Amino acid sequence: MLRFVVACAVALLASKPAFAVADQPAGSPVHFGRQILPLLSDRCFQCHGPDARQRQADLRLDDETAAKTPRDGAAAVVPGQSEASELYRRIAAIDPDERMPPADSRTPLSADEIALVKRWIDEGAAWSAHWAFERVVRPITPQPGGFAERVQNPIDAFVFARLAREGLTPSPEAPRETLLRRLSLDLRGLPPSPAEADTFLNDPSPDAYERLVDGLLASPAFGERMAWDWLDAARYADSNGYQGDGERTMHPWRDWVVQAFNGNLPYDRFTLWQLAGDLLPESTPEQTLATGFCRNHMINGEGGRIPEENRVDYVMDMTETLGTVWLGLTLNCCRCHDHKFDPVTQRDYYSLFAFFNQTPVDGGGGNPQTPPVVEVPSVEQTTRLSQLAAEIDSAASALDELELIQFPRGEGQSTADSEKAASAPDAVKAILKLPSAQRIRGQLEELETQWAKDLPDYLPHVQKLRATLDARDAANRSIPRVMVMADLPEPRQTFILEKGLYDKPRDAVSAAVPVNLPRLPAGAPTNRLGLGEWLVSPDHPLTARVTVNRIWQQFFGVGLVKTPEDFGVQGERPVHPELLDWLAAEFVESGWDVKRLCRLIVTSSTYRQSSRVSPALLERDPDNRLLARGARFRLPSWMIRDQALAAAGLLIGRMGGAPVNPYQPGDLWADITFDRKHFQQDHGEALYRRSLYTFWRRIVAPSLFFDSASRQICTVKHLRTNSPLHALTTLNDVTYIEAARAVAQRVLTGRAVEPSERIAAVFRLVLTRRPTAEELSLLTASLERLKREFAADPQAAARFLAVGEAKRDESLDAVEHAAYTALASEVLNLDEALNKE
Amino acid sequence: MHPALQHPLAINRREFFSRGVCTIGTAALASLLAQDGFASASSDAPSAVGGLAGLPHFAPKAKRVVYLFQNGGPTHVELFDYKPRLKEMHGQPVPESYFAGKRFSTMTGSPQGKLMLSPVEPFAQHGQSGAWVSQFLPHTAAVVDDLCFIKSLHTDAVNHAPAISFFLSGAQLPGRPTLGAWLSYGLGSDTQDLPAFVVMTSVSKGTTCGQIFYDFYWSSGFLPSRFQGVKFRGSGEPVLYLSDPDGMSRPMRRGLLDDLARLNELKLRDFGDPEIATRIAQYEMAYRMQTSVPELTNFSDEPNHVLEMYGPDVRQQGTYAYNCLMARRLIERGVRFVQLMHAGWDQHGSITTELYNQCRDTDQPSAALVTDLKQRGLLDDTLVIWGASSAARRFCRATSTTGRNGAAIIIPTPSRSGWLAAGSGPA
Repeated sequence: MLRFVVACAVALLASKPAFAVADQPAGSPVHFGRQILPLLSDRCFQCHGPDARQRQADLRLDDETAAKTPRDGAAAVVPGQSEASELYRRIAAIDPDERMPPADSRTPLSADEIALVKRWIDEGAAWSAHWAFERVVRPITPQPGGFAERVQNPIDAFVFARLAREGLTPSPEAPRETLLRRLSLDLRGLPPSPAEADTFLNDPSPDAYERLVDGLLASPAFGERMAWDWLDAARYADSNGYQGDGERTMHPWRDWVVQAFNGNLPYDRFTLWQLAGDLLPESTPEQTLATGFCRNHMINGEGGRIPEENRVDYVMDMTETLGTVWLGLTLNCCRCHDHKFDPVTQRDYYSLFAFFNQTPVDGGGGNPQTPPVVEVPSVEQTTRLSQLAAEIDSAASALDELELIQFPRGEGQSTADSEKAASAPDAVKAILKLPSAQRIRGQLEELETQWAKDLPDYLPHVQKLRATLDARDAANRSIPRVMVMADLPEPRQTFILEKGLYDKPRDAVSAAVPVNLPRLPAGAPTNRLGLGEWLVSPDHPLTARVTVNRIWQQFFGVGLVKTPEDFGVQGERPVHPELLDWLAAEFVESGWDVKRLCRLIVTSSTYRQSSRVSPALLERDPDNRLLARGARFRLPSWMIRDQALAAAGLLIGRMGGAPVNPYQPGDLWADITFDRKHFQQDHGEALYRRSLYTFWRRIVAPSLFFDSASRQICTVKHLRTNSPLHALTTLNDVTYIEAARAVAQRVLTGRAVEPSERIAAVFRLVLTRRPTAEELSLLTASLERLKREFAADPQAAARFLAVGEAKRDESLDAVEHAAYTALASEVLNLDEALNKE
Repeated sequence: MHPALQHPLAINRREFFSRGVCTIGTAALASLLAQDGFASASSDAPSAVGGLAGLPHFAPKAKRVVYLFQNGGPTHVELFDYKPRLKEMHGQPVPESYFAGKRFSTMTGSPQGKLMLSPVEPFAQHGQSGAWVSQFLPHTAAVVDDLCFIKSLHTDAVNHAPAISFFLSGAQLPGRPTLGAWLSYGLGSDTQDLPAFVVMTSVSKGTTCGQIFYDFYWSSGFLPSRFQGVKFRGSGEPVLYLSDPDGMSRPMRRGLLDDLARLNELKLRDFGDPEIATRIAQYEMAYRMQTSVPELTNFSDEPNHVLEMYGPDVRQQGTYAYNCLMARRLIERGVRFVQLMHAGWDQHGSITTELYNQCRDTDQPSAALVTDLKQRGLLDDTLVIWGASSAARRFCRATSTTGRNGAAIIIPTPSRSGWLAAGSGPA
């Protein structure tokens, strides 16, 4: 069953390197890691690979010693002698019973591939590990072919040298308006304001571009932009998922992520804090808060589930998230069996699992604030709580003083000794003995019942104290509690779980890193902290590569390795392997400086190229993997919304805090939860906050975002589809119609008077550039027609302008405003508006 | 029986079905992956849009699927899995062999100490095939000769969500593509006006334990998201954001889209990015959906006798009957895969009341869909699947002797029954 699915996945989706052979200079020896290992992995490892249980004929080809050791007189690989090598004999055999892979495997080797294997053996059968498991060595920066004058930094040297080898030429630099919008969207997720555009476009100084980059990197919006991808990876949501889907309060962790990016927290510390902030020496509350990363997994509160089964699921999720985010490895295969392709065993999996298996988390009940938690009150909440504490004090002392009068008694006696209390039950007397400040809510209620009739003057004071206590409890409950990590005092024993089943423990294992990767650094503790230190140790082959690749993907739409989730043998080999390694080395040596890495990328000539593509180049390199042009791809849907709000001037810049519910059509929550949850749209400012702050219900994600990660499990690969449903969203959603109306209003109340100037202003608010003459004439005709249509039906204009809750400037002519609104909607739906260009 | 299904069955029928939906999926996929494809299977068929080159590999019999998914646990022993011994054992304690050494879900506990219960409604044989169906399902009983009953399915999951995920995607955990996504991915779409994979949901009236419909039940998993099921909503507009904003007329929308296309064509000419061409086409498709979807949901062109066949709920949006008729209308328009999910089959404590409601809501429309498709010649190349993720065994509580006074409980068990309807006879 599982095999079927795996086979499907492999057969249909295995990522073939786009230019695997071309990245080798001609005439060079066969490269094992890049040319042979992928073949062996693809065609042989299923039966002759790392998974001991699936291994046929006791032959393994993933291990050099095993492959070169004679068995029954013949070794699979005899260096220098292809004819004596059983591997070659079998893949070249004519007899179908002898030939490998077997006919029914449906993955035959081509004649070229067989010849390649032969050549490799004859050249000495040099062996090496899979490229991604080899230590990063900073490559020498190459000569950039004939494009030296275009080189801004070593990124260009690598890219241009490759282009020269491929006989391609880099594209010219994009126009300044394009660069400005590209940079602003990439670094802030927002378009440039007209004022910013004026400043940059009129700045003749040679370092204008670099200063623009620095300004954008320093903007608080940078952290918000970077946070989105991290939240996808961290499967962040504001509810549990599963049935019930209780609301959680993890948003202080989300705000921490934004601050960490803005403060440029080095990525090694960013890593350590999130995996093990609680275990750091003299851990701060902020560092513990960061470990909320691990706890963002779904929580299953479904009736009938066995708590331990849930708990094991959560630990698996943490383990696999670590695998995807830092290792770029698909560990989930190893829940049940050794990995089919990568050197990770089931034992390795549960040894990693053991690091996360030490928390006191209870798998039962589905509490969306399952301890351990930290409370993260806002400043307002802290103030409110101290106010309430003072109010409680004064209400309690007022009550004490009142009791002195209402309950006369002797010197040194308590209220309970008063004559008046003589007939009260003992339980009530016990309460009266306590100072008011120590009485709890239920005790106050008992007093109220006892004295309701007899002491009408006394009663309101008790009620007042109780109401204040209630207010304090309510305020306490409203404090966000972020689920975080902690380890049990006594370690929990971890076992290999047969087929991943919580109730099938087999061999005991202790916490350890996979045996085929570097060891834990000397002196590192064998806990999550040690695990984190291991990930960010300079000789770890994966962390830096995987991270720079993900950040590269953010700017170019696709990583240097296009499978950011899989750096294993089945993942894509990098198109620019040396550039990837150079960036990884640079990143580590810079002290894991994320802003510096971003700056390096966006100041390269490679990044600044125009994204125009000729038919010839399109045919040669349809996916732009060789980077002979700039990246052009559709913006993430959240950024399309933020862009519209910013262009409209509606965007509220306030950062952080509890999530908000902007427009959604109808009550989508009721539909899916059988009326258990109801969508309540917010009003006012909450409608115009950045998309990052939109409440994310895990079982029914906000409907206005498309192609988003579901936030159910870790996702690092961007999804970009092109569907009519997306068109309907940006054409008809109230968010976009309202934004169009506000864009129109901005222009109609601005300086421009002539229609052509106004059209250009609309265009500029969204696209930064001015329209061409041809565009302007089309848009002018469009506007004329729209005016005629609305003039013929002024009521339609009024209804059109009533879409959305933002107030309209009623002094504007309705027909004109409606026509410009429709025009702005047209501009917001231009392919260029939806794309980064 | 189609040869593509026959072959694996001939090897080992029990094994084939015990592997669950993934294998059925493989077979269904195989049977759909016809050599000539939908594009060229017959000259008058519309061309498939998208899909993989080289698929289908051989001539398909079924081209489309309607999956009538019954969320919860329809109790097969009350419906069409006739067990005469249950009657003989009525009132006796549940035999030890049933529970000894076994583990039961914490929700329902062990049947130890409970009493056996005979079927609530009598069973009878129907049609030429002589299939046993209980009086709970009179309409299904009338079409048994068009159905193939399968009584040997199995999952390991005790909870609904993982079991449903398993039957629809082959894995208990979310993240894998579902059957409809695979079919849209591999075979493309036969219509340019509607999505290839449509999902609709409904709930039985007065149900006490509805199961949530998670979107991973129609997920595209690791396939691109355009292959995921498009869920038509049960109230209001079936597709989100379908209507033009208030105040915008259709001619105005048309004009705006024409202008937009012209501007985008300028950009395409200038930049050469083929995605721009796709975008122009998708905006056009969006415009067409704005017409085709309301047309789809307008039942006024249905003759009365057809509406009556589906029962009284058919005119009410969001009901199972309405969705069944929608399924036929979608299939008719070339939609590849219609997944209809109905919740409420989860009668933990009220089988003698809720099962009647549940069957009343679903029996007639399910049978009507099969009949309707058959009458239009669509059943020849449409596979209809009726099934669930769990089944239920019923016992009396120890304190009750009849189980008819509302004291019966049901226990989800890791097996289910279902039926398939396809072609002119049993599949």
